[in-house]
Amino acid sequence: MAGSDKLELVERLTNECVEMCRTILRGRKRLEPLLAPSFRTQKLQRAINEQKTAVREMETAVERIMSAVEQMSEIDFSDGGTAGLKVAACCDQIMEACCFQDITGQRLSQVGETLDLVEQTLAELAGQESRSAPMPSRPEGLLNGPAMPGCGMEQDAVDRLLAGGE
Amino acid sequence: MAVDMKMPILIVDDYKTMLRIVRNLLTKLGFSEIDEATDGTDALAKLRTRNYGLVISDWNMQPMTGYELLQKIRSDDALKALPFVMVTAESKVENVIAARQAGVNNYIIKPFSAEVLKAKLKTVLGDF
Repeated sequence: MAGSDKLELVERLTNECVEMCRTILRGRKRLEPLLAPSFRTQKLQRAINEQKTAVREMETAVERIMSAVEQMSEIDFSDGGTAGLKVAACCDQIMEACCFQDITGQRLSQVGETLDLVEQTLAELAGQESRSAPMPSRPEGLLNGPAMPGCGMEQDAVDRLLAGGE
Repeated sequence: MAVDMKMPILIVDDYKTMLRIVRNLLTKLGFSEIDEATDGTDALAKLRTRNYGLVISDWNMQPMTGYELLQKIRSDDALKALPFVMVTAESKVENVIAARQAGVNNYIIKPFSAEVLKAKLKTVLGDF
């Protein structure tokens, strides 16, 4: 190989290496939102916990609804005096259990926000248009949703606080 | 003084299921005039058209939250005496304190039971 050919080869390889480094740096830059420690330790971890908690809450709600339905199916309707009251109590239990939809809905919305961020970041990295709707920023005044089990106040504590205690 | 079971009550929540649950529980308690709103703005508009005796509101709603609705009610001469019960999954101490400072009459944590709702309404309205 002639000297000029070697020089040309080295130059070409160098340029390719530089371009490769640039591509890696660009990719890394685009992945920054997902690589940030705050994303992994806060947003992603929280989304995982919210999803697990939502599943547990759904199980609890379904368990309560099923129990109420089973109780209703065992009511002795020949006893007109108490049957109505028993049905009403079961209906209350079902109604209360249905609160889960609001709470799990809020939890899963937070999971959705996190997945949106992942999807948009990956789409950008791949040079594609994101398929999810643009993620709206959390409006001011909206809070973080239901607390994780054991992290929020219980009703008794709220009552004491409102009464002027604690 | 006895509670007027026909007084209009406005329930505010962006989850239809919650509106249905609260409406059903109120009906069971004997209240018959129940209106619904899906956020603070909607609620405020309704509050200006009818003489309500109680507001039961969620916190997290758009475009106007329940907390903002409470603040607007308390700063409005025509509405400021209106009893306001917050029913929300927000259970952090700072939220409860903020609501108390804004003038909430009671604060119910979701999920709640029919008994809790009844007890809190009795605290706010009196025995019924």
